[in-house]
Amino acid sequence: MTKPKISSDWMAGCAGCHMSLLDMDERIALVAELAELRSTPITDLKHPDESGVDVGILEGGINNTSNEEVARQMRSRCKILVALGDCAVFGGVPAMRNFFTLEETLRRAYVETESTDESGKIPNDPELAVPTKVRAVSEVVPVDVFVPGCPPDADTIFYVLSELAQGRTPDLKGDKLSWY
Amino acid sequence: MVTVTIDGKALEVPEGITVLRAAQSAGIEIPTLCDHPHLTPYGGCRLCLVEVEGYRTLQPSCTLPVNNNMVIKTNTKKVLDARKFVLTLIFSERNHFCPYCQVSGGDCELQNAAYHEGMTHWPLQPNWQPYPVDSSHPYIIIDNNRCILCRRCVRACDELIGNFTLGFEERGARSILVADTGVPFGESTCVSCGSCIQVCPTGAMIDRWSSYLGHEVKFDSTKTICVACSIGCGIEVFSRDNNLVRIDGDWDKPISSGVLCDLGRFKPMVEKCDRIFTPMVRKNGTLKAATWEDALSAAASGLKSAKPKIAALISTRQPVESLHLFKQLFADKLSAELVTTLEEGAKTALLASSADELGKPFESKLEELKSSDAVLVVADDLVLEHQVAGFFIKRNLPKGTSLVVVDAVTNKLGKLANKNLNPSSGSFEDVFVGLSSAVAKLGLANSKKNISAEALAKAAAATGLATEDFLDAAFLLASATNPVIVYASKAFSSALRDFASLINAKLVSLKGEANSLAASQLHLDKPFRPAGVNAVYVALGDDEITQKMAKEIEKIPFKVVQATYASALTAGADVLFPSTNWLEQTGHYISADGHVQEALQSLKPAEDVLSVRETLIKLAERLGFSLDENWSKDVHSRVAPVLIEK
Repeated sequence: MTKPKISSDWMAGCAGCHMSLLDMDERIALVAELAELRSTPITDLKHPDESGVDVGILEGGINNTSNEEVARQMRSRCKILVALGDCAVFGGVPAMRNFFTLEETLRRAYVETESTDESGKIPNDPELAVPTKVRAVSEVVPVDVFVPGCPPDADTIFYVLSELAQGRTPDLKGDKLSWY
Repeated sequence: MVTVTIDGKALEVPEGITVLRAAQSAGIEIPTLCDHPHLTPYGGCRLCLVEVEGYRTLQPSCTLPVNNNMVIKTNTKKVLDARKFVLTLIFSERNHFCPYCQVSGGDCELQNAAYHEGMTHWPLQPNWQPYPVDSSHPYIIIDNNRCILCRRCVRACDELIGNFTLGFEERGARSILVADTGVPFGESTCVSCGSCIQVCPTGAMIDRWSSYLGHEVKFDSTKTICVACSIGCGIEVFSRDNNLVRIDGDWDKPISSGVLCDLGRFKPMVEKCDRIFTPMVRKNGTLKAATWEDALSAAASGLKSAKPKIAALISTRQPVESLHLFKQLFADKLSAELVTTLEEGAKTALLASSADELGKPFESKLEELKSSDAVLVVADDLVLEHQVAGFFIKRNLPKGTSLVVVDAVTNKLGKLANKNLNPSSGSFEDVFVGLSSAVAKLGLANSKKNISAEALAKAAAATGLATEDFLDAAFLLASATNPVIVYASKAFSSALRDFASLINAKLVSLKGEANSLAASQLHLDKPFRPAGVNAVYVALGDDEITQKMAKEIEKIPFKVVQATYASALTAGADVLFPSTNWLEQTGHYISADGHVQEALQSLKPAEDVLSVRETLIKLAERLGFSLDENWSKDVHSRVAPVLIEK
């Protein structure tokens, strides 16, 4: 039997969920025994295999057109899509900006911050991704497994990965269910 | 009793209770958000929906009264789906992102409810509509973004406090919690009792002090009593690493059932004073740090040489243990000429002599206010002092309770009264004589006692009030079924007692500080006139002293002071002992209406800081006296104005 393949990527998040994933310490070797880790932001391979993977994991919400592409590619190449962490599940901290208009947030970030001088301007290079409202992954592509947490506990991530690697659907409840 | 079946369990429950309460009584858990055991059911959140046989739709169990033979199911798929759907809608309405909320992680009832239903995500995303945040209040922040419109705060403000400050503006999704007519909360009629924060299930109302200091589950908690006044409300003190974090009302303590005023809830938080941490002795004119040994020796020798020309003063905020030891040491052992309290008996002496004269108690429990349909308040402004007693009255006014206030001017409570009697001359006694006569004239007196008809006209002339005023007030009070008279001790006279018996009214007085009544029982109630004394001992603790008294003390040659905080008094002391504050000591308190309760230590004092009680024992040892610590007998040996619990 071939090992199930796992890919992951991050979008509008802080990388904290991947840090939490690494926080499972030596148990990551156990996961590697059960599954084959393919593309991740912390390995050389950057895109999930065109031939597809079994489990795709996304950290972060979707806040621009580039994130949309990442999410669509992952969805199209994986069988089970996992939204990892509060940003992927709900929008999280980046979604605070949704309470303002895009124009306001860009102006604040590029022009008005205390450390910006008169030369500050909102970037408008046509090659750049276009910012959008921050959305949960499930607002853009269908999600199969939600793992909330800011970040989710290493124990929770280990549980989720080992269940998925063994072909079961993780059931988050009790101690494992925490939005923060 | 009626029979209902909940989840297949047949129960006998009292008629008229709700399905929710019936389920709770049998240990069947139904999740709720807007329900609160101390507030009337509202039915706003719909989380408690249950299936009832024969009903077309799911029913909110918090507002549905039980019927005989009702069959209820609380855990069918239909119910569980509905719960998740209700939570989905609540989460979609406003900003319920947990990572940046103060109550997330155990203190939020909304989050806990979602966990309980196993929600891993929101099926509907929020609509990103920002709502106003009001941080104009000195203690409380309203964040409408976290509000779930359960209106617990509004109900607490109305039903528990009777203040009617909070309310909602707009309708539906636009509803906003506002104070009064939409003024900033800090400029509103809010009395800062903080009940709204205590009942808020989410982070919509938080207090500035304890916010972001950690989760309630990680705090140490002590259930004790408030000693800010003589009512004796139950409190729960939260601390972390021996730092005071928050004070909540204790829902389970019967005296105020969770309600507190700003003095009990917030003042201990914001109070910032210089603590005294070490004993000090005056040497060559300046106060110098000393060991307890040296300080006790200096105090003992000074007192010995002054004996019996000693004045001894103790705060009525001290536990009865301290009061009792104090009296023994100074009155019995040192034969000090003057042993009294900072209150000097001003708020109890008249009442104590009335009890002595009658040979039995004549006052009732404060609790009577909760069921009273007419209240007469004399010379006390319960909006400013003993506020919780004021809450008991204010919350009953909408239910038709009449309020009559007698005071020199219309006070704050008087603004809510049906009738104010503000005598411009004469005494309170004249007012009661006038009221008695008015009751007789109305034919509402319950005895055929001979009351002169002229007394009314005379009283009117003496007080500058119209006879109509007396008749109006008398009618309100005498036509009630459970009238209660709350009075300041200074307004007490036998005329008041006579008036009360004429209309079968209960008498309640609130006296002074936390242990005012206990001090009175121990005869610590003399006026402070320290003429000719050579030494004074002031057991101040964390209390304050009047300037007048401080001036008197200044003149005394040898001064021993035990105080928690630095003041002019401590600066002038010859021997200074550091004292614990109320949270750092243990001891009993007798409330104004005779409840005996123990205050427990909730914070640890600094190493060199002792309680007044511990200090008195050490000082007595030093002087070669042994003291009896059994205070109960002495407290009960004098007839009290109100029955004191054994």
